[in-house]
Amino acid sequence: MKIYIKVFAHLRKKYPNVNDLNPLELEVNKNTTVEEVIDKLNFKLEEIHLILLNGKKVSKNQLVEENCTISLFPPIGGG
Amino acid sequence: MNYGYMGKWLKVNLSSKEMSDFDFPEDLLRKFIGGKGLAVYYLWNYAKELEKKGVNIKEMDALSPDNILFFSTGPVTGTRSPNSGRHHVMALKSPLTGSIGSGNTGGTWGAKLKFAGYDGIVFEGKSDTPVYLSIIDGKPELHDASEIWGKNTMDTTKWLQEKHERKRAGVSCIGPAGENLVPCAVIMNEIHRAAGRTGLGAIMGSKNLKAIIVDGNAKPQIAKQEEFETKVKEHVEKLKENGVTGEGLPTYGTAVLVNIINQNGLFPTKNWQTGVDKEAENISGETLTEKYLISKHPCWGCVVACGRKTKVELGPYKISFTEGPEYEAIWALGGSTNVNNMGAVIRANHYCDIFGMDPISIGSTIAAAMELNEKGLIPEEDLQGLKVEFGNPDAIVELTWMAAFRQGLGYWIGEGSRKMCEHYGAPEISMSVKGLEMPAYDPRGAKGIGLNYATANRGGCHVTGYTIAAEVLGDVDRFTIEGKAELTKTFQDFTSIVNSCVNCLFLTFALGLDEYVEMIGPITGWDITADELLKTGERITNLERMILNKLGITGKDDTLPKRLLEEKMPEGASEGQIVELEPMKQEYYKLRGWEDGVPTPEKIKELELEI
Ligand code: SF4
Repeated sequence: MKIYIKVFAHLRKKYPNVNDLNPLELEVNKNTTVEEVIDKLNFKLEEIHLILLNGKKVSKNQLVEENCTISLFPPIGGG
Repeated sequence: MNYGYMGKWLKVNLSSKEMSDFDFPEDLLRKFIGGKGLAVYYLWNYAKELEKKGVNIKEMDALSPDNILFFSTGPVTGTRSPNSGRHHVMALKSPLTGSIGSGNTGGTWGAKLKFAGYDGIVFEGKSDTPVYLSIIDGKPELHDASEIWGKNTMDTTKWLQEKHERKRAGVSCIGPAGENLVPCAVIMNEIHRAAGRTGLGAIMGSKNLKAIIVDGNAKPQIAKQEEFETKVKEHVEKLKENGVTGEGLPTYGTAVLVNIINQNGLFPTKNWQTGVDKEAENISGETLTEKYLISKHPCWGCVVACGRKTKVELGPYKISFTEGPEYEAIWALGGSTNVNNMGAVIRANHYCDIFGMDPISIGSTIAAAMELNEKGLIPEEDLQGLKVEFGNPDAIVELTWMAAFRQGLGYWIGEGSRKMCEHYGAPEISMSVKGLEMPAYDPRGAKGIGLNYATANRGGCHVTGYTIAAEVLGDVDRFTIEGKAELTKTFQDFTSIVNSCVNCLFLTFALGLDEYVEMIGPITGWDITADELLKTGERITNLERMILNKLGITGKDDTLPKRLLEEKMPEGASEGQIVELEPMKQEYYKLRGWEDGVPTPEKIKELELEI
């Protein structure tokens, strides 16, 4: 099934063209976890600080859904 | 003299031109630290003096000679402790809000004031002609400012540095907006850093005070040098290792927040009609870094360097050099207005810097004007042909400079959204608290920040208690109201400490209360504990609240715009949410020991505030 990935801040070093307006399309099996997706994208789990699935905060064990959008963030802050 | 301090504050009476030095005894320094804390202490006593003279401070015009301006550093400012080039400015009354005036700023000026030999300056009265103050190598002097009156902040700064042959001197000044008494005017320092909220620039303008230039070679003495150096090293190490202060902020600046706040559905868009901006990517920190960044630019003594030197290479908003914009400015000028055009945002932000205005209040008021216009509430003749519509980049650029010079609809933009929306008969469209425009986080998507906006003493402000660090960037559930009263109180009291030290709030992403004990202890020689320090923060927050009460501000003012309390977030990751303010507020008052927004006599006694 298809899922969509958005990466932000330093995570774009690996995927410079992937952004909010241009998500990465990924083909995965049913029963894939977010952790497996992160691995497939060649990120280390420690690099990821926040995972959103369709905007909702989820854990690495969450199963992905068909056509969902996964947003991945490293630690960031400001104000 | 006490360690960490220069031991001298300067009082300038602008009416009589008299100047005198004064100092605070050690027990007061320990009770209020410096910066915001000491300013609040001074303002409290000054308010009582005014009352004794028969002045009704509730009715007092913020632009009258009776208002005062207090510039202050703290014991940490200008030391080798990281990010300590900051200072705090306060006034008894804000011309924008009618509440207390307060702003914190970076740059170099705070550190240089100490090097010039002073911890702070109080301005009273009003000069009959434009003047500026210089403090060079410990010597304060007032000068005629007629040659720089009318100049923008960039030209003023350069003129003063050349005149005094001090190319690296710190310069705080107002631009044309402050001179024109625009209630959204700021006090700028080092051209691009601002004591940015509550209209402090208009107060400076009302006093005919154009600028303050400071320089020198004096240094604050440290009580326990060796221990201090060890702690400085440890703190710098922690800042470097932390993902936010070591990588996120240095690489992308504060604008790195655009995407994460938008993805979480709390990026206020179209004057807070929604929390999702479909094209926010175009005004994100990543886009700023990729297409507009020249280099990073730290404040004095900073190891993080979130500041940005930027340019716009092409198009109608072309500019070869400026600084910023910060996250809040990008949001207000480009997100709230739905403009999403980084060139226009940079240009409008540049106008805010050189004419001396607060981009949060200006951008947010422009967005309110766009909604008023969408609803047909601004007469054709007031628009003067300008398309005041969401998404129009020209509108933000034009209205920003028009605000500084009080031209056309710009007059109302400069007055702030509360007065403008009242004028056009729709006060509910102003997204402000206590008259101060709220910044870039919709509290329907993070309930604690809603409680903080409602209760923050200076009005709709995020940096009074930045619960976003826990609710969106950390692990606290952002939608629950449980525990938010305590979270907000803790953030607010801790921030009072930071603003009294004075150093940069961004340190707190990596350094906590214990590290603040490790700074203040060795610098001052006090055997201070974390508990004492947090109590000190609470004392400062409470005394500031007691000043608000004198100004007539109480529980009825601790609220939020109706939109956030009643209209459900229509879409995105925070869809369906409102802010359940009342239960949080009641719990907060209980924790604070306040009744209807007023500290109880028991609380006042506990905090030793019977002063
Ligand atoms: S982190 Fe940013 S605001 Fe803070 S001192 Fe450094 S440059 Fe200034």
